[in-house]
Amino acid sequence: MRLELRDVRYVYAPGTPFEVEALRGVSLVVEPGEVLGIVGGTGSGKSTLVQHMNLLLTPTSGEVLVDGVDATTLKKSELRRRVGLVFQFPESALFAATVEEDVAFAPRQLALDEKEVRERVLESLRVLGAGELAARSPFALSGGEKRRAAIAGVLAMRPEILVLDEPTAGLDPATREDFLALILGLRNAGISVVLVSHDLDEVAEVADRVCALQEGRVLAVGTPAEVFYRDPSQAPATVRVASLLRESKPEIGAPVPFGETLDALRALRGA
Amino acid sequence: MKHPGEGTRVGGSLAVSCYRVSFSYPGSEQPALSDVSFELRPGEYVGVVGPNGGGKSTLVRLLNGLLKPDSGRVLVSGRDPSTEPFEVRKHLGILFQDPENGLVAPFVEDDVAFGLENLGVPRQEMRDRVARAIRAVGLEGYERREPGTLSGGEKQRVALAGLLAVEPEILVLDEPTSMLDASGRREVLEYLETLRAEKTVLHVTHHLEELVRSDRILVLNGGELVADKTPERLLSDADLLRENRLVLPVVQRLALELGLPPAKLRTPEELAEAILARTESGTRAG
Ligand SMILES: Nc1ncnc2c1ncn2[C@@H]1O[C@H](COP(=O)(O)OP(=O)(O)OP(=O)(O)O)[C@@H](O)[C@H]1O
Ligand SMILES: Nc1ncnc2c1ncn2[C@@H]1O[C@H](COP(=O)(O)OP(=O)(O)OP(=O)(O)O)[C@@H](O)[C@H]1O
Ligand SMILES: [Mg+2]
Ligand SMILES: [Mg+2]
Repeated sequence: MRLELRDVRYVYAPGTPFEVEALRGVSLVVEPGEVLGIVGGTGSGKSTLVQHMNLLLTPTSGEVLVDGVDATTLKKSELRRRVGLVFQFPESALFAATVEEDVAFAPRQLALDEKEVRERVLESLRVLGAGELAARSPFALSGGEKRRAAIAGVLAMRPEILVLDEPTAGLDPATREDFLALILGLRNAGISVVLVSHDLDEVAEVADRVCALQEGRVLAVGTPAEVFYRDPSQAPATVRVASLLRESKPEIGAPVPFGETLDALRALRGA
Repeated sequence: MKHPGEGTRVGGSLAVSCYRVSFSYPGSEQPALSDVSFELRPGEYVGVVGPNGGGKSTLVRLLNGLLKPDSGRVLVSGRDPSTEPFEVRKHLGILFQDPENGLVAPFVEDDVAFGLENLGVPRQEMRDRVARAIRAVGLEGYERREPGTLSGGEKQRVALAGLLAVEPEILVLDEPTSMLDASGRREVLEYLETLRAEKTVLHVTHHLEELVRSDRILVLNGGELVADKTPERLLSDADLLRENRLVLPVVQRLALELGLPPAKLRTPEELAEAILARTESGTRAG
Protein backbone atom coordinates (compact mmCIF):
# COMPACT_ATOMS: atom_id res chain seq x y z
CA MET A 1 0.00 0.00 0.00
CA ARG A 2 1.10 3.52 -0.81
CA LEU A 3 0.35 6.26 1.67
CA GLU A 4 0.54 9.87 0.67
CA LEU A 5 0.22 13.10 2.63
CA ARG A 6 -0.50 16.16 0.52
CA ASP A 7 0.20 19.61 1.90
CA VAL A 8 -0.95 18.66 5.40
CA ARG A 9 -1.36 21.46 7.95
CA TYR A 10 -2.30 20.82 11.54
CA VAL A 11 -3.14 23.35 14.23
CA TYR A 12 -3.57 22.37 17.90
CA ALA A 13 -6.06 24.37 19.98
CA PRO A 14 -7.01 26.72 17.13
CA GLY A 15 -8.37 30.10 18.16
CA THR A 16 -7.00 29.85 21.72
CA PRO A 17 -3.96 31.61 23.17
CA PHE A 18 -2.24 28.21 23.07
CA GLU A 19 -2.69 27.71 19.36
CA VAL A 20 0.25 25.76 17.89
CA GLU A 21 0.73 25.23 14.17
CA ALA A 22 2.50 21.90 14.40
CA LEU A 23 2.50 21.04 10.68
CA ARG A 24 2.84 23.78 8.08
CA GLY A 25 2.24 22.08 4.76
CA VAL A 26 3.87 18.66 4.74
CA SER A 27 3.87 16.49 1.62
CA LEU A 28 5.33 13.02 1.92
CA VAL A 29 4.91 9.55 0.43
CA VAL A 30 5.41 6.19 2.14
CA GLU A 31 6.21 3.79 -0.70
CA PRO A 32 5.22 0.12 -0.48
CA GLY A 33 7.86 -1.99 1.20
CA GLU A 34 10.23 0.78 2.27
CA VAL A 35 11.64 1.83 5.61
CA LEU A 36 11.12 5.57 5.89
CA GLY A 37 13.03 7.25 8.73
CA ILE A 38 11.59 10.46 10.18
CA VAL A 39 13.99 12.65 12.11
CA GLY A 40 13.92 16.18 13.49
CA GLY A 41 14.35 18.18 16.66
CA THR A 42 12.17 18.24 19.78
CA GLY A 43 8.76 19.64 18.88
CA SER A 44 9.39 19.63 15.12
CA GLY A 45 6.10 17.80 14.44
CA LYS A 46 7.10 14.14 14.07
CA SER A 47 4.47 12.67 16.41
CA THR A 48 1.82 14.98 14.99
CA LEU A 49 2.76 13.85 11.48
CA VAL A 50 2.61 10.12 12.14
CA GLN A 51 -0.77 10.40 13.87
CA HIS A 52 -2.11 11.58 10.52
CA MET A 53 -1.09 8.31 8.89
CA ASN A 54 -4.06 6.45 10.37
CA LEU A 55 -6.18 9.58 10.83
CA LEU A 56 -5.92 9.59 14.58
CA LEU A 57 -5.55 13.29 13.80
CA THR A 58 -7.31 14.71 10.75
CA PRO A 59 -5.54 17.49 8.87
CA THR A 60 -6.67 21.06 9.47
CA SER A 61 -6.11 21.31 5.73
CA GLY A 62 -4.57 19.01 3.13
CA GLU A 63 -5.18 15.35 2.33
CA VAL A 64 -4.18 11.83 3.30
CA LEU A 65 -4.42 9.31 0.44
CA VAL A 66 -4.30 5.51 0.61
CA ASP A 67 -3.46 4.04 -2.78
CA GLY A 68 -4.74 7.26 -4.27
CA VAL A 69 -8.05 7.19 -2.36
CA ASP A 70 -8.98 9.88 0.16
CA ALA A 71 -8.44 8.15 3.52
CA THR A 72 -11.38 9.93 5.17
CA THR A 73 -13.72 7.93 2.91
CA LEU A 74 -12.38 4.62 4.28
CA LYS A 75 -13.76 2.92 7.36
CA LYS A 76 -11.67 3.99 10.35
CA SER A 77 -11.44 0.45 11.70
CA GLU A 78 -10.21 -0.79 8.31
CA LEU A 79 -7.64 2.01 8.09
CA ARG A 80 -6.34 1.31 11.61
CA ARG A 81 -5.98 -2.38 10.82
CA ARG A 82 -3.92 -1.62 7.74
CA VAL A 83 -1.84 1.16 9.31
CA GLY A 84 -0.56 0.07 12.74
CA LEU A 85 0.68 2.89 14.97
CA VAL A 86 2.87 2.48 18.04
CA PHE A 87 2.75 5.69 20.09
CA GLN A 88 5.73 7.51 21.53
CA PHE A 89 4.58 6.59 25.07
CA PRO A 90 2.80 3.29 24.42
CA GLU A 91 3.13 2.28 28.09
CA SER A 92 0.27 4.55 29.06
CA ALA A 93 -2.10 2.54 26.86
CA LEU A 94 -1.48 -0.77 28.65
CA PHE A 95 -4.60 -1.78 30.56
CA ALA A 96 -5.29 -5.53 30.84
CA ALA A 97 -4.61 -7.92 33.71
CA THR A 98 -1.88 -9.80 31.86
CA VAL A 99 0.52 -8.95 29.06
CA GLU A 100 -1.02 -11.67 26.91
CA GLU A 101 -4.52 -10.20 27.29
CA ASP A 102 -3.20 -6.78 26.50
CA VAL A 103 -1.46 -7.86 23.32
CA ALA A 104 -4.56 -9.86 22.29
CA PHE A 105 -6.89 -6.88 22.54
CA ALA A 106 -6.30 -5.44 19.06
CA PRO A 107 -6.17 -8.68 17.02
CA ARG A 108 -9.35 -9.80 18.79
CA GLN A 109 -11.19 -6.97 17.03
CA LEU A 110 -10.35 -8.61 13.71
CA ALA A 111 -12.86 -11.48 13.95
CA LEU A 112 -10.11 -14.09 14.00
CA ASP A 113 -10.66 -17.36 15.80
CA GLU A 114 -9.25 -17.57 19.29
CA LYS A 115 -6.49 -19.98 18.28
CA GLU A 116 -5.21 -17.61 15.60
CA VAL A 117 -5.29 -14.70 18.07
CA ARG A 118 -3.26 -16.66 20.58
CA GLU A 119 -0.73 -17.72 17.97
CA ARG A 120 -0.24 -14.16 16.80
CA VAL A 121 0.11 -12.89 20.36
CA LEU A 122 2.74 -15.42 21.36
CA GLU A 123 4.60 -14.94 18.07
CA SER A 124 4.68 -11.15 18.52
CA LEU A 125 5.91 -11.45 22.08
CA ARG A 126 8.49 -13.99 21.05
CA VAL A 127 10.05 -11.88 18.29
CA LEU A 128 10.41 -9.07 20.83
CA GLY A 129 12.15 -11.35 23.29
CA ALA A 130 9.19 -10.95 25.65
CA GLY A 131 7.71 -14.46 25.58
CA GLU A 132 8.33 -14.97 29.27
CA LEU A 133 6.33 -11.86 30.14
CA ALA A 134 3.01 -13.26 28.79
CA ALA A 135 1.48 -14.10 32.16
CA ARG A 136 2.79 -11.02 34.00
CA SER A 137 0.79 -7.90 34.85
CA PRO A 138 1.73 -5.13 32.41
CA PHE A 139 1.84 -2.67 35.31
CA ALA A 140 4.50 -4.61 37.18
CA LEU A 141 7.11 -4.44 34.43
CA SER A 142 10.27 -2.43 33.92
CA GLY A 143 10.22 0.45 31.41
CA GLY A 144 11.74 -1.53 28.57
CA GLU A 145 9.54 -4.55 29.24
CA LYS A 146 6.39 -2.38 29.03
CA ARG A 147 7.55 -0.99 25.74
CA ARG A 148 7.99 -4.47 24.27
CA ALA A 149 4.48 -5.45 25.37
CA ALA A 150 3.04 -2.32 23.76
CA ILE A 151 4.86 -2.88 20.45
CA ALA A 152 3.75 -6.54 20.39
CA GLY A 153 0.08 -5.44 20.48
CA VAL A 154 0.43 -3.58 17.19
CA LEU A 155 2.62 -6.23 15.55
CA ALA A 156 -0.07 -8.82 16.26
CA MET A 157 -2.44 -6.83 14.01
CA ARG A 158 -0.12 -7.62 11.06
CA PRO A 159 -0.59 -4.19 9.48
CA GLU A 160 0.50 -3.29 5.93
CA ILE A 161 2.28 -0.22 7.23
CA LEU A 162 3.86 -0.20 10.64
CA VAL A 163 4.33 3.29 12.06
CA LEU A 164 6.69 3.42 15.04
CA ASP A 165 7.18 6.58 17.11
CA GLU A 166 10.49 6.28 19.01
CA PRO A 167 10.07 2.50 19.41
CA THR A 168 13.57 1.80 20.71
CA ALA A 169 13.67 4.45 23.45
CA GLY A 170 14.22 2.47 26.63
CA LEU A 171 15.17 -0.81 24.96
CA ASP A 172 18.52 -2.26 25.99
CA PRO A 173 21.17 -2.22 23.24
CA ALA A 174 20.94 -5.90 22.29
CA THR A 175 17.14 -5.76 22.17
CA ARG A 176 17.39 -2.61 20.07
CA GLU A 177 19.60 -4.46 17.58
CA ASP A 178 17.19 -7.40 17.45
CA PHE A 179 14.34 -4.98 16.89
CA LEU A 180 16.14 -3.30 13.99
CA ALA A 181 16.67 -6.73 12.43
CA LEU A 182 12.94 -7.35 12.87
CA ILE A 183 12.17 -4.09 11.02
CA LEU A 184 14.35 -5.20 8.12
CA GLY A 185 12.65 -8.61 8.12
CA LEU A 186 9.21 -6.97 7.89
CA ARG A 187 10.44 -4.73 5.09
CA ASN A 188 11.71 -7.77 3.21
CA ALA A 189 8.28 -9.33 3.63
CA GLY A 190 6.79 -6.31 1.84
CA ILE A 191 5.58 -4.33 4.85
CA SER A 192 6.34 -0.60 4.95
CA VAL A 193 7.82 0.76 8.13
CA VAL A 194 7.81 4.38 9.22
CA LEU A 195 10.43 4.85 11.93
CA VAL A 196 10.48 8.05 13.96
CA SER A 197 13.71 8.17 15.91
CA HIS A 198 16.15 10.44 17.67
CA ASP A 199 18.73 7.72 17.44
CA LEU A 200 20.30 8.67 14.13
CA ASP A 201 22.66 5.69 14.34
CA GLU A 202 19.72 3.32 14.12
CA VAL A 203 18.07 5.27 11.31
CA ALA A 204 21.39 4.96 9.45
CA GLU A 205 21.20 1.17 9.69
CA VAL A 206 17.66 0.54 8.48
CA ALA A 207 16.21 3.47 6.52
CA ASP A 208 15.81 3.35 2.73
CA ARG A 209 14.83 7.02 2.76
CA VAL A 210 14.90 9.72 5.40
CA CYS A 211 12.63 12.71 5.95
CA ALA A 212 13.95 15.50 8.16
CA LEU A 213 11.38 17.82 9.74
CA GLN A 214 12.01 21.27 11.13
CA GLU A 215 9.34 23.45 12.73
CA GLY A 216 6.51 21.64 11.01
CA ARG A 217 8.02 21.62 7.53
CA VAL A 218 9.97 19.08 5.51
CA LEU A 219 13.56 20.26 5.62
CA ALA A 220 14.91 17.47 3.44
CA VAL A 221 13.80 14.12 2.11
CA GLY A 222 15.87 11.60 0.17
CA THR A 223 18.33 8.77 0.60
CA PRO A 224 20.07 8.66 3.99
CA ALA A 225 23.27 9.94 2.32
CA GLU A 226 21.47 12.87 0.69
CA VAL A 227 19.85 13.92 3.96
CA PHE A 228 22.65 13.26 6.44
CA TYR A 229 25.57 14.72 4.47
CA ARG A 230 23.70 18.06 4.16
CA ASP A 231 24.41 18.79 7.83
CA PRO A 232 26.88 16.41 9.47
CA SER A 233 26.25 18.03 12.88
CA GLN A 234 22.78 16.42 12.76
CA ALA A 235 24.01 13.09 11.43
CA PRO A 236 24.80 9.60 12.70
CA ALA A 237 28.28 8.89 14.08
CA THR A 238 29.34 7.10 10.87
CA VAL A 239 28.57 10.19 8.79
CA ARG A 240 30.27 12.49 11.31
CA VAL A 241 33.47 10.46 11.12
CA ALA A 242 33.41 10.18 7.32
CA SER A 243 32.63 13.84 6.75
CA LEU A 244 35.53 14.89 8.98
CA LEU A 245 37.84 12.86 6.74
CA ARG A 246 36.30 13.88 3.42
CA GLU A 247 38.21 17.10 3.04
CA SER A 248 41.60 15.39 2.88
CA LYS A 249 40.30 12.00 1.69
CA PRO A 250 37.53 12.64 -0.84
CA GLU A 251 37.73 9.02 -2.00
CA ILE A 252 35.85 8.04 1.15
CA GLY A 253 32.57 8.94 -0.58
CA ALA A 254 29.31 9.20 1.38
CA PRO A 255 28.83 6.02 3.39
CA VAL A 256 26.00 5.86 5.93
CA PRO A 257 25.44 2.35 7.37
CA PHE A 258 28.09 0.93 9.67
CA GLY A 259 29.32 -1.79 7.28
CA GLU A 260 29.73 0.59 4.34
CA THR A 261 31.52 3.12 6.49
CA LEU A 262 33.91 0.52 7.82
CA ASP A 263 34.71 -0.66 4.27
CA ALA A 264 35.33 2.92 3.15
CA LEU A 265 37.62 3.58 6.12
CA ARG A 266 39.54 0.37 5.53
CA ALA A 267 40.04 1.27 1.89
CA LEU A 268 41.81 4.50 2.84
CA ARG A 269 45.44 4.15 1.97
CA GLY A 270 47.39 3.03 4.99
CA ALA A 271 44.41 2.82 7.39
CA MET B 1 39.75 -5.52 51.67
CA LYS B 2 36.79 -3.54 52.89
CA HIS B 3 33.41 -4.56 51.54
CA PRO B 4 31.90 -1.65 49.56
CA GLY B 5 29.26 0.16 51.58
CA GLU B 6 30.57 -1.16 54.86
CA GLY B 7 32.59 1.92 55.80
CA THR B 8 29.50 4.09 55.96
CA ARG B 9 28.11 2.26 58.92
CA VAL B 10 30.68 4.16 60.93
CA GLY B 11 31.60 7.27 58.94
CA GLY B 12 29.20 9.60 57.11
CA SER B 13 31.22 11.27 54.39
CA LEU B 14 29.85 9.22 51.50
CA ALA B 15 27.13 10.63 49.24
CA VAL B 16 25.43 7.25 48.84
CA SER B 17 26.17 3.84 50.16
CA CYS B 18 24.34 0.61 49.55
CA TYR B 19 25.35 -2.31 51.68
CA ARG B 20 24.08 -5.78 50.74
CA VAL B 21 20.73 -4.46 49.56
CA SER B 22 18.06 -6.92 48.44
CA PHE B 23 14.52 -6.21 47.31
CA SER B 24 11.61 -8.20 45.85
CA TYR B 25 8.35 -6.71 44.61
CA PRO B 26 5.36 -8.13 46.50
CA GLY B 27 4.10 -11.29 44.83
CA SER B 28 7.06 -11.83 42.53
CA GLU B 29 9.32 -14.85 42.80
CA GLN B 30 12.48 -13.27 41.43
CA PRO B 31 14.21 -10.61 43.52
CA ALA B 32 14.55 -7.33 41.62
CA LEU B 33 17.81 -6.64 43.49
CA SER B 34 20.03 -9.17 45.28
CA ASP B 35 22.83 -8.31 47.64
CA VAL B 36 23.89 -5.08 45.93
CA SER B 37 26.74 -3.08 47.48
CA PHE B 38 28.45 0.06 46.17
CA GLU B 39 29.40 3.58 47.25
CA LEU B 40 29.29 7.02 45.67
CA ARG B 41 31.79 9.53 46.96
CA PRO B 42 30.79 13.19 46.88
CA GLY B 43 31.48 14.67 43.43
CA GLU B 44 31.59 11.35 41.61
CA TYR B 45 29.81 10.83 38.28
CA VAL B 46 28.71 7.21 38.06
CA GLY B 47 26.78 5.48 35.28
CA VAL B 48 24.35 2.56 35.58
CA VAL B 49 23.67 0.23 32.65
CA GLY B 50 22.27 -3.24 32.06
CA PRO B 51 19.50 -5.14 30.32
CA ASN B 52 15.79 -4.34 30.55
CA GLY B 53 14.52 -5.59 33.88
CA GLY B 54 18.05 -5.59 35.31
CA GLY B 55 17.04 -3.62 38.42
CA LYS B 56 18.21 -0.09 37.56
CA SER B 57 14.93 1.73 38.27
CA THR B 58 14.34 -0.37 41.37
CA LEU B 59 17.69 0.79 42.71
CA VAL B 60 16.71 4.38 41.95
CA ARG B 61 13.45 4.00 43.92
CA LEU B 62 15.32 2.64 46.92
CA LEU B 63 17.53 5.71 47.07
CA ASN B 64 14.77 8.12 48.09
CA GLY B 65 12.67 5.76 50.15
CA LEU B 66 9.93 5.10 47.59
CA LEU B 67 10.82 1.45 48.14
CA LYS B 68 12.40 -0.01 51.26
CA PRO B 69 14.99 -2.78 51.09
CA ASP B 70 13.98 -6.25 52.36
CA SER B 71 17.47 -6.54 53.77
CA GLY B 72 20.68 -4.55 53.74
CA ARG B 73 21.00 -0.84 54.16
CA VAL B 74 20.91 2.31 52.04
CA LEU B 75 22.43 5.54 53.33
CA VAL B 76 22.25 8.92 51.60
CA SER B 77 24.52 11.56 53.11
CA GLY B 78 24.50 9.39 56.20
CA ARG B 79 20.68 9.16 56.44
CA ASP B 80 18.45 6.17 55.85
CA PRO B 81 15.81 6.93 53.19
CA SER B 82 13.48 4.26 54.52
CA THR B 83 13.16 6.08 57.87
CA GLU B 84 13.83 9.70 56.85
CA PRO B 85 12.55 9.97 53.27
CA PHE B 86 11.73 13.68 53.45
CA GLU B 87 15.12 14.61 54.83
CA VAL B 88 16.83 12.49 52.18
CA ARG B 89 14.82 14.12 49.37
CA LYS B 90 16.34 17.50 50.26
CA HIS B 91 19.74 16.12 49.37
CA LEU B 92 18.93 13.67 46.61
CA GLY B 93 16.69 14.43 43.63
CA ILE B 94 15.47 11.95 41.04
CA LEU B 95 14.47 12.29 37.41
CA PHE B 96 12.24 9.27 36.89
CA GLN B 97 12.30 7.12 33.77
CA ASP B 98 8.84 7.86 32.45
CA PRO B 99 8.45 11.59 31.70
CA GLU B 100 4.79 10.97 30.87
CA ASN B 101 3.81 9.88 34.38
CA GLY B 102 5.81 12.39 36.38
CA LEU B 103 4.00 15.50 35.18
CA VAL B 104 1.04 16.26 37.43
CA ALA B 105 0.42 20.01 37.71
CA PRO B 106 -1.88 22.06 35.46
CA PHE B 107 0.88 24.27 34.06
CA VAL B 108 4.52 23.72 33.23
CA GLU B 109 5.72 26.27 35.81
CA ASP B 110 3.77 24.57 38.63
CA ASP B 111 5.22 21.27 37.64
CA VAL B 112 8.75 22.63 37.80
CA ALA B 113 7.97 24.18 41.21
CA PHE B 114 6.41 21.00 42.59
CA GLY B 115 9.55 19.55 44.14
CA LEU B 116 10.36 22.85 45.85
CA GLU B 117 7.07 23.09 47.65
CA ASN B 118 7.97 20.83 50.55
CA LEU B 119 11.39 22.34 51.06
CA GLY B 120 10.35 25.57 52.77
CA VAL B 121 12.02 27.79 50.16
CA PRO B 122 10.83 31.45 50.38
CA ARG B 123 8.38 32.43 47.62
CA GLN B 124 10.59 34.86 45.78
CA GLU B 125 13.53 32.49 45.73
CA MET B 126 11.22 29.75 44.54
CA ARG B 127 10.15 31.88 41.58
CA ASP B 128 13.76 32.67 40.72
CA ARG B 129 14.80 29.06 40.86
CA VAL B 130 11.88 27.94 38.69
CA ALA B 131 12.67 30.60 36.10
CA ARG B 132 16.33 29.63 36.10
CA ALA B 133 15.58 25.93 35.68
CA ILE B 134 13.13 26.60 32.83
CA ARG B 135 15.81 28.66 31.12
CA ALA B 136 18.46 25.98 31.67
CA VAL B 137 16.40 23.44 29.70
CA GLY B 138 15.42 25.91 26.97
CA LEU B 139 11.69 26.06 27.71
CA GLU B 140 11.11 29.82 28.05
CA GLY B 141 7.66 30.66 26.73
CA TYR B 142 6.26 27.29 27.84
CA GLU B 143 5.51 28.35 31.46
CA ARG B 144 1.72 28.41 31.03
CA ARG B 145 1.45 25.41 28.71
CA GLU B 146 -0.32 22.29 29.98
CA PRO B 147 2.25 19.50 30.39
CA GLY B 148 -0.11 17.01 28.72
CA THR B 149 0.02 18.93 25.44
CA LEU B 150 3.80 18.89 25.11
CA SER B 151 5.88 16.81 22.72
CA GLY B 152 7.89 13.91 24.15
CA GLY B 153 11.16 15.81 24.33
CA GLU B 154 9.47 18.87 25.81
CA LYS B 155 7.99 16.70 28.59
CA GLN B 156 11.38 15.27 29.37
CA ARG B 157 12.83 18.79 29.60
CA VAL B 158 10.08 19.85 32.03
CA ALA B 159 10.88 16.86 34.23
CA LEU B 160 14.56 17.74 34.15
CA ALA B 161 13.81 21.38 35.05
CA GLY B 162 11.84 20.13 38.06
CA LEU B 163 14.91 18.33 39.30
CA LEU B 164 17.29 21.22 38.62
CA ALA B 165 15.05 23.67 40.50
CA VAL B 166 15.52 21.67 43.70
CA GLU B 167 19.31 21.99 43.31
CA PRO B 168 20.02 18.78 45.22
CA GLU B 169 23.60 17.75 45.98
CA ILE B 170 22.95 14.32 44.54
CA LEU B 171 21.23 13.96 41.18
CA VAL B 172 19.83 10.61 40.11
CA LEU B 173 18.82 10.49 36.46
CA ASP B 174 16.92 7.48 35.10
CA GLU B 175 17.28 7.55 31.29
CA PRO B 176 17.20 11.36 31.17
CA THR B 177 17.80 11.68 27.42
CA SER B 178 15.59 8.88 26.05
CA MET B 179 13.26 11.34 24.25
CA LEU B 180 15.71 14.11 23.38
CA ASP B 181 17.07 14.93 19.93
CA ALA B 182 20.80 14.82 19.23
CA SER B 183 21.45 18.44 20.17
CA GLY B 184 19.22 18.27 23.26
CA ARG B 185 21.10 15.19 24.36
CA ARG B 186 24.42 16.97 23.92
CA GLU B 187 23.14 20.01 25.84
CA VAL B 188 22.00 17.91 28.80
CA LEU B 189 25.28 16.00 28.89
CA GLU B 190 27.27 19.23 28.73
CA TYR B 191 25.14 20.68 31.51
CA LEU B 192 25.77 17.62 33.67
CA GLU B 193 29.45 18.01 32.88
CA THR B 194 29.38 21.55 34.36
CA LEU B 195 28.07 20.06 37.63
CA ARG B 196 31.08 17.79 37.74
CA ALA B 197 32.80 17.78 41.14
CA GLU B 198 30.18 20.13 42.57
CA LYS B 199 27.39 17.52 42.55
CA THR B 200 27.24 13.76 42.79
CA VAL B 201 25.55 12.17 39.79
CA LEU B 202 24.10 8.70 39.24
CA HIS B 203 23.12 8.38 35.58
CA VAL B 204 21.11 5.40 34.29
CA THR B 205 21.16 4.93 30.53
CA HIS B 206 21.08 2.45 27.64
CA HIS B 207 23.49 4.66 25.69
CA LEU B 208 27.04 3.80 26.69
CA GLU B 209 28.39 6.75 24.67
CA GLU B 210 26.83 9.05 27.30
CA LEU B 211 29.07 7.54 29.95
CA VAL B 212 32.48 7.57 28.29
CA ARG B 213 33.58 10.42 30.59
CA SER B 214 32.06 9.05 33.79
CA ASP B 215 34.22 8.02 36.74
CA ARG B 216 32.72 4.52 37.00
CA ILE B 217 29.96 2.43 35.51
CA LEU B 218 27.82 -0.04 37.46
CA VAL B 219 26.32 -2.97 35.54
CA LEU B 220 23.08 -4.44 36.91
CA ASN B 221 21.79 -7.67 35.43
CA GLY B 222 19.06 -9.88 36.89
CA GLY B 223 19.16 -7.80 40.07
CA GLU B 224 22.85 -8.40 40.66
CA LEU B 225 25.64 -5.88 40.49
CA VAL B 226 27.87 -7.72 38.04
CA ALA B 227 30.47 -5.00 37.51
CA ASP B 228 31.67 -1.68 38.93
CA LYS B 229 34.38 -0.49 36.55
CA THR B 230 35.88 2.51 34.80
CA PRO B 231 34.46 3.20 31.31
CA GLU B 232 37.82 2.25 29.76
CA ARG B 233 37.73 -1.17 31.36
CA LEU B 234 34.08 -1.82 30.57
CA LEU B 235 34.41 -0.74 26.94
CA SER B 236 37.38 -3.00 26.40
CA ASP B 237 35.76 -6.08 27.96
CA ALA B 238 33.90 -7.68 25.04
CA ASP B 239 32.66 -10.66 27.08
CA LEU B 240 31.28 -8.53 29.88
CA LEU B 241 29.49 -6.32 27.33
CA ARG B 242 27.93 -9.27 25.52
CA GLU B 243 26.81 -11.04 28.70
CA ASN B 244 24.98 -7.90 29.75
CA ARG B 245 23.26 -7.16 26.43
CA LEU B 246 25.46 -4.11 25.92
CA VAL B 247 26.71 -3.05 22.51
CA LEU B 248 29.71 -0.82 21.91
CA PRO B 249 28.79 2.63 20.60
CA VAL B 250 29.38 3.19 16.86
CA VAL B 251 32.59 5.22 17.28
CA GLN B 252 34.18 2.59 19.51
CA ARG B 253 33.01 -0.25 17.28
CA LEU B 254 34.60 1.40 14.23
CA ALA B 255 37.81 1.96 16.20
CA LEU B 256 37.93 -1.66 17.32
CA GLU B 257 37.36 -2.96 13.77
CA LEU B 258 40.15 -0.70 12.50
CA GLY B 259 42.55 -1.90 15.16
CA LEU B 260 42.55 1.39 17.09
CA PRO B 261 42.11 1.54 20.88
CA PRO B 262 38.33 1.89 21.40
CA ALA B 263 38.41 3.14 24.97
CA LYS B 264 40.72 6.07 24.10
CA LEU B 265 38.69 7.35 21.13
CA ARG B 266 35.54 8.78 22.59
CA THR B 267 34.11 11.03 19.87
CA PRO B 268 33.84 11.05 16.05
CA GLU B 269 36.42 13.87 16.08
CA GLU B 270 38.93 11.84 18.07
CA LEU B 271 38.41 8.81 15.84
CA ALA B 272 38.76 10.81 12.60
CA GLU B 273 41.97 12.34 13.91
CA ALA B 274 43.43 8.95 14.81
CA ILE B 275 42.57 7.57 11.35
CA LEU B 276 44.17 10.57 9.65
CA ALA B 277 47.29 10.31 11.78
CA ARG B 278 47.62 6.67 10.85
CA THR B 279 47.06 7.11 7.11
CA GLU B 280 49.64 9.89 7.09
CA SER B 281 52.30 7.93 8.90
CA GLY B 282 51.44 4.98 6.60
CA THR B 283 51.94 7.15 3.51
CA ARG B 284 55.26 8.42 4.73
CA ALA B 285 56.49 4.95 5.55
CA GLY B 286 55.39 3.45 2.23
N1 LIG C 1 -2.11 18.35 22.26
C1 LIG C 1 -1.38 19.41 21.94
N2 LIG C 1 -1.84 20.68 22.15
C2 LIG C 1 -1.09 21.75 21.84
N3 LIG C 1 0.14 21.68 21.27
C3 LIG C 1 0.64 20.47 21.05
C4 LIG C 1 -0.07 19.27 21.37
N4 LIG C 1 0.69 18.22 21.04
C5 LIG C 1 1.84 18.72 20.54
N5 LIG C 1 1.82 20.08 20.54
C6 LIG C 1 2.88 20.98 20.06
O1 LIG C 1 3.08 20.75 18.67
C7 LIG C 1 4.47 20.78 18.34
C8 LIG C 1 4.85 19.47 17.67
O2 LIG C 1 4.71 18.41 18.61
P1 LIG C 1 5.08 16.90 18.26
O3 LIG C 1 4.66 16.09 19.43
O4 LIG C 1 4.51 16.55 16.93
O5 LIG C 1 6.67 17.01 18.16
P2 LIG C 1 7.78 15.87 17.96
O6 LIG C 1 8.56 16.21 16.73
O7 LIG C 1 7.15 14.54 18.01
O8 LIG C 1 8.72 16.13 19.22
P3 LIG C 1 9.53 15.10 20.18
O9 LIG C 1 10.78 14.76 19.46
O10 LIG C 1 9.83 15.94 21.38
O11 LIG C 1 8.66 13.93 20.47
C9 LIG C 1 5.21 21.03 19.65
O12 LIG C 1 5.55 22.39 19.73
C10 LIG C 1 4.19 20.70 20.73
O13 LIG C 1 4.36 21.51 21.89
N1 LIG D 1 5.98 -2.49 40.09
C1 LIG D 1 6.55 -3.68 39.91
N2 LIG D 1 5.99 -4.82 40.42
C2 LIG D 1 6.56 -6.02 40.24
N3 LIG D 1 7.70 -6.23 39.56
C3 LIG D 1 8.30 -5.16 39.03
C4 LIG D 1 7.77 -3.83 39.17
N4 LIG D 1 8.59 -2.97 38.53
C5 LIG D 1 9.60 -3.71 38.01
N5 LIG D 1 9.43 -5.03 38.31
C6 LIG D 1 10.33 -6.14 37.95
O1 LIG D 1 11.55 -5.96 38.67
C7 LIG D 1 12.67 -6.22 37.84
C8 LIG D 1 13.58 -4.99 37.79
O2 LIG D 1 12.87 -3.93 37.16
P1 LIG D 1 13.48 -2.48 36.97
O3 LIG D 1 12.36 -1.59 36.58
O4 LIG D 1 14.27 -2.13 38.15
O5 LIG D 1 14.44 -2.75 35.73
P2 LIG D 1 15.33 -1.71 34.88
O6 LIG D 1 16.74 -2.17 34.98
O7 LIG D 1 15.03 -0.32 35.28
O8 LIG D 1 14.80 -2.03 33.41
P3 LIG D 1 14.56 -1.05 32.13
O9 LIG D 1 15.87 -0.93 31.43
O10 LIG D 1 13.60 -1.84 31.27
O11 LIG D 1 13.99 0.24 32.61
C9 LIG D 1 12.12 -6.67 36.50
O12 LIG D 1 12.11 -8.06 36.45
C10 LIG D 1 10.71 -6.13 36.48
O13 LIG D 1 9.84 -6.95 35.72
MG1 LIG E 1 7.25 13.01 19.40
MG1 LIG F 1 14.19 1.31 34.28
